[in-house]
Amino acid sequence: MDTFWTQPFVYYFLPAFFTLAVYSFLFKDNPWFKLAEHIFAGLSAGYYAGLIFHSVIKQQMFVPMVSSGRYDLVIPGVLGFLLFMRFFPKGRWLTRIPLAFVIGTTAGIMFLQQLHGLVLPQIKSTLLPLNDFGNIVIVVGVLTTLVYFYFSKPHTGVLGGVAKVGIWFIMIAFGAHFGYTVMARVSLLIGRMQFIFVDWLRLVS
Amino acid sequence: MANQGNKGFFTRLQNVDRRVLFVLIFASVIVPLFFPLKLPVPVTPETREFFEAVEAIPDSSIVMLPFDFWPSTLAETEPMAVVGLRHLFRKNCYVVGLSNVGMGGPSIADRLLDSIGGEFGKTYGIDYVNLGYKANYQAVMLGMGERIEDIFPTDHRGTPLSEIPLMRRVPNYDSVSFIFVVSDNVAVDYWVGLVNSRFGVPMGAGVTAVMAPKSLSFVQANQLVGLMGGMKGCAEYENLLGYPARATRGMDSQSIIHLLIVLFIVMGNVGYFAAKRKAKVEG
Repeated sequence: MDTFWTQPFVYYFLPAFFTLAVYSFLFKDNPWFKLAEHIFAGLSAGYYAGLIFHSVIKQQMFVPMVSSGRYDLVIPGVLGFLLFMRFFPKGRWLTRIPLAFVIGTTAGIMFLQQLHGLVLPQIKSTLLPLNDFGNIVIVVGVLTTLVYFYFSKPHTGVLGGVAKVGIWFIMIAFGAHFGYTVMARVSLLIGRMQFIFVDWLRLVS
Repeated sequence: MANQGNKGFFTRLQNVDRRVLFVLIFASVIVPLFFPLKLPVPVTPETREFFEAVEAIPDSSIVMLPFDFWPSTLAETEPMAVVGLRHLFRKNCYVVGLSNVGMGGPSIADRLLDSIGGEFGKTYGIDYVNLGYKANYQAVMLGMGERIEDIFPTDHRGTPLSEIPLMRRVPNYDSVSFIFVVSDNVAVDYWVGLVNSRFGVPMGAGVTAVMAPKSLSFVQANQLVGLMGGMKGCAEYENLLGYPARATRGMDSQSIIHLLIVLFIVMGNVGYFAAKRKAKVEG
């Protein structure tokens, strides 16, 4: 009995309660599931608001302004504030200014990341000598899949045959993804059961 | 009558009550917890390469460990962070922790760093540090390449970085020998695409099983030195390190549930084709 009461309530009992409340949905929708769902949504929103205020607005704007005289930080602060102008019909157009910054910088970073980080290295790693079965599979898979996504010509004749091979590669990739997804979801269940039986109830050492 | 009975059986094979599946899957998880089967966990080349790359880092190097995962995937990612920390602390590496996931990431990092650091007698601020979370991870990753202190003026506990002995030695990525990413989201793409490609820091990743097929392409392109894919990958790493823990323990259940799912897929297909054949024969 001691085991139950000496554990911190918040570390063990509450998580266990919410785990069981969520899993109760497997039987049917019920008030306990709804309670867990609503508490999760509310907590998440509150936690995020506090976190962003503390780690961004306070720590990266107010503190440097006050302690180091970084008054230039007023500019991003004002831009951030302008995003809230969408709630005022007359000033809604002002949100376009910060959005232009967000879209511009995001596009720049994404371009850099996609081109230098993904496209070029991945193309380079596909240019392989055809002296190995694995290399042949990679090259054939990439080429036939690309042909499948070429839609400017009807998929008939040779093009249709090659595209069909591409479909097979795509299906095998989907199968691999599905298999891994099953493993991931099962892992989550195992994790929760380990928590309940090992950490909370301590029925297993 | 016999035919109708068979047809009913094959139709039932395709329509097993989902609650029967739930009970079987629940039993498959619980029974191995109480009676471990200790099924073998063969090591895949990607995990071995990851382990060997970490093993090859010179002792006492500075390693960054981003805790880029949500509490919802702790079952997969926490054992990865734990095994990574054990490996790094065993080599007396200095660990710089941070998180690009605001919801729970920094506090999970704090808990694990303190707990595993404590196992190895490590001290906060000298052997390891938790920088915490900052919004917009693309900007965070790029900014740390210039000056970490600009992005994280203080650590997660509010101590200015200039007052933390470890961080005085880590102005940017130039001082970081390796990045041990543990992630359940697209952040790993950015570590590879922004940090590895631009700053050339070698890195390996522990990712959830859902992300493993995509992340394997980074290994094939030598952008990641290796990969831990899901609970299975983590169990492999735990065994290579000689610390079989939670992931290894969960693998018995994993194997049984996978067998069960294969069985049900086969049963469903047998039922489908047999019912179709019967319908055809009967016109």
